[in-house]
Amino acid sequence: MIKQNNFRIALVGNPNSGKSSVFNQLTGLRQKVGNFPGVTVDKKIGKTLLPEGAEITLIDLPGAYSLYPNSQEERIVLNVLSNPEDANHPNAVIYVADATHLEKHLLLLTQIKDLGLPLVLALNMSDLLPKEGIEIDVEVLSKRLGIPVVPISGRYGQNMEALKEKVFDLKFNASNGVELFYQPSALEKKVVRRLQEELGFNNTYRTLLVAHHFRRLPFLTLENKDTIERICLEENFEDLRLQIHETMRRYDIFTPFLRKAIQRKGPKANSPTDKLDLILTHKIAGPIIFFFLMLLVFQAIFTWAAYPMGWIENGFNYLSITLKTNIPAGWVSNLLTDGIIAGLGGVMVFIPQIAILFILISTLEEAGYMARVVYIFDKAMQQFGLNGRSVVALVSGGACAIPAIMSTRTISNWKERLITIMVTPLISCSARIPVYTILIGFAVPSRTVLGFFNLQGLAFMGLYLLGITAAFCSAFVFKLILKTEEQSYLLLELPEYRPPLWRNVFLTVKEKVRAFVVEAGKVILVVSVLLWCLASFGPAAKMTEAEAGARVEAASQSLSEIETGDLVAAKRLEASYAGQIGKFIEPAIRPMGFDWKMGIAILTSFVAREVFVGTMATLYSVGSAEDETTIHDRLAKANNPDTGLPVYSIATSFSLLIFYVFAMQCISTLAVVRRETNSWKWPLIQFAYMSGLAWFGSLVVYQILK
Amino acid sequence: MNILPITNFKKGGSGTVFEITNQQMAGKLIAMGLLPGSKIEVIGIAPFNGGYYLKVDGHCLAIRKKEAAHILLEC
Repeated sequence: MIKQNNFRIALVGNPNSGKSSVFNQLTGLRQKVGNFPGVTVDKKIGKTLLPEGAEITLIDLPGAYSLYPNSQEERIVLNVLSNPEDANHPNAVIYVADATHLEKHLLLLTQIKDLGLPLVLALNMSDLLPKEGIEIDVEVLSKRLGIPVVPISGRYGQNMEALKEKVFDLKFNASNGVELFYQPSALEKKVVRRLQEELGFNNTYRTLLVAHHFRRLPFLTLENKDTIERICLEENFEDLRLQIHETMRRYDIFTPFLRKAIQRKGPKANSPTDKLDLILTHKIAGPIIFFFLMLLVFQAIFTWAAYPMGWIENGFNYLSITLKTNIPAGWVSNLLTDGIIAGLGGVMVFIPQIAILFILISTLEEAGYMARVVYIFDKAMQQFGLNGRSVVALVSGGACAIPAIMSTRTISNWKERLITIMVTPLISCSARIPVYTILIGFAVPSRTVLGFFNLQGLAFMGLYLLGITAAFCSAFVFKLILKTEEQSYLLLELPEYRPPLWRNVFLTVKEKVRAFVVEAGKVILVVSVLLWCLASFGPAAKMTEAEAGARVEAASQSLSEIETGDLVAAKRLEASYAGQIGKFIEPAIRPMGFDWKMGIAILTSFVAREVFVGTMATLYSVGSAEDETTIHDRLAKANNPDTGLPVYSIATSFSLLIFYVFAMQCISTLAVVRRETNSWKWPLIQFAYMSGLAWFGSLVVYQILK
Repeated sequence: MNILPITNFKKGGSGTVFEITNQQMAGKLIAMGLLPGSKIEVIGIAPFNGGYYLKVDGHCLAIRKKEAAHILLEC
C-alpha cells in the first residue's frame, strides 16, 4: 500500500474549467503558493482529508488544453505528467471539466489516460446543466471512458464527498485499464519501439510524447536527446503533422460516444453573456466602459484606502514612540525605530491600496470581464509591442509595480511580457503620491480655472498622463530594438459571465498581498537598515563637530528642546556618509536644479519614493513634524545661501516632479524584475533607461523654466 | 457554396470550418476545440480593427486577425 503522506493527487483541466474553485473547496485555507523550479509559474499545493481520515497532498497544475504545449503553463503540465521522476509527479489525477462544454474538455483527459495515470473525471458546473437543458448519462460516460465520473459543483461545494470517495478508491485500485485511447500508426509504433529499446521507457504514449517534445524536456540527458533526434530523423518523424493527426483522431473517438451520453433538451437558453457582450465588447462603448470602470477603481482605491492607511501609519508611529521612550536612547533605539520600524511601516502602509485594487481586479476577472478587456485592447497594445494582457499589468501598476510585474506571467510571448515588465514602473504608483503632493504645492498655485478645475488637480493628472505616455513611448522603442524568433499569437477563451465567487477572490487577494509583503518587505528592510547606517554614521570628528555646532547655534537662538533636537538631527545628517554622498553627487544634479539636500533625499528614497518627504523634513529640521503643511511651510522658507532665492523655486520643483515621474526609484521593483526575468541584465537596463529619462527630463525642464 | 477565410466575414456571419491552412496554428486551434466541422459565428470585431470574437460550437473564443486569416469557412 502507498504511504499516506506520499500520496499525491494532481488537479488537471483546461483553463476556465473552474479548477481553482474545486481546489479551494477541497483544501479550504490549507493551501500555499510556491513556484515550479526554474520558472515563474505559480504552484498551488494543499492538503485534503479523504474518507477514513487519510490525508493526501493536492497539487493544482496550471490550466492546459493539451499535452502539446503552447505556453509556459502547459509546458509545466507536460513536464510533470510525462516524467515519473519529477518531484511533483502525481500518483493519480482529478480531471476537472466544464460539464456544460464537455466536448471541448476531453482532449487532455484522453491524453492523460494514455499516460497510464489513474484518474477521476469531475464534471464541474453540473449545477448549471438543468438550466442549460443538458442531461449527462454519467453511467454511459464512465463506461465508455473506463474511469469513474462524478458530477460536482465547485461553486456550491456539491458532491465533494462523493469525489473524495472516488479518489480514495483510486488509492487502492490504481489501474486505469490497459487499452490505449489513441492507437498509434505504424510509423509511430516503430519510433516508439526503437526509443523504448534505446532508452528503456515502458509507457507507449509517454514515449510518443518524448519523441515529439524531447528538445525541451528537462529530464532527458544530452545523450538521450541526440539518440532521439537520430531515430526521429531516420524514421522521418514529422511531429507537427502527426500531432494534428493524433488530436483529430482523439476527437473522432470521443465525439460519437459523447453524443450518446449527452442529451440536449430543447434549444439552448439565451445566455446573458451574449446580451452583455453586445455592449461590453462594443467597438466604441467597450473601451469607454472600461475607462469609466478604471476611473471608479482608482477612485475607490484612493478614497477607501485612506482610512486603513492612516491607522497603519498611526500604529507604526505609536510603536516607534513607545520603543523610543522605553529603550535607552542610542544607536540601538534609533536603528529599531528609524531603520527597521520605519522600513516595515513603509511596506505595510501600501497594503490597503494593493488589497483594494486586487479585490476589484480579481472580482472583474472572476466575473469573466478581464478576458474581454484583453480582447478589446489587444490590437492597440500590439502597436506598442505589448499584448492585450498587458492592460492588467499597467492598471495594477497604478497601485504598485510589484504585483503588476508578477501579473505579467500570463503573457506567453516572451518579448511582449518583457516589454510589459520594462515599462510598467513608469506608471505612477501610489508611493509617488506624497512626493507629488508636496512638490505640486510649490510648483502650482492652488487656483480654480475654467470654472471648476483646480490647477493643482490638473497638474496631478498631467503627471499621471506623462507617466502613461512615457510607458507607451518606451514600449514602442523596445519593440523596435528587441528581436525575437518566437511567434506571437492570441487564442483567448471568453468565459461566460458569472457572479464572482468571493472565496476565490479572497484567496487571490490574500496571495497577492502576501507576495507583495514578502517581495517588497525583504528588500526594503535590508535597504532601510543600510541607508539608516549611511545617514546615522559619518567620519567621527565631523559628526561631533556638527553636533556641537548645532547645539551652540540652538543656544544662541534660544530654541526649544524639540527645535534643538531637529537642528542637531539636520546637522548630523549633513555630516553623515549620506550627506557626504549627497555633496559628492551635487555637481551631477546641479544642472537639474537640485542641491545636495535633494541629492540625499533622492538617495534615501531608493527604499521607496515616499521616503523623500521624510528625509526633506529631517534636513530642514522639522523631523518631528508629522503633518505635510508644516513640512511644506518650512521648505517654502528655505533660501539658497548663495543667491538668496527660494530653494524650492518653480523650476526646481517641476524638475523634481519630472524626476520622480520617470526615475526607477524603487529597489524592491528591481529585485522583482530580476526574479521574473531570471537575470540581472533586464533590471540593470531598466534602471539605466529610466534614470536616463529622469535625468534628461529634469535637465530640460529646469533649463527652460529657470 | 463558398470557401472563404474568416477575415472576409462581417459581424453576424457564420459558417463551418473547412480547413486551417497553417499547420502550427491548426495544432493550437484544434486543442482549443476549433477544428474542421466546427460551426462558427462571428460575434464581433475588436476596436481599432483588431481581433475576432467567435462563437465556436456555442463556446466563445477571441483570436487575432492574423490567425483568423488561416481559418477557412464553408458557407
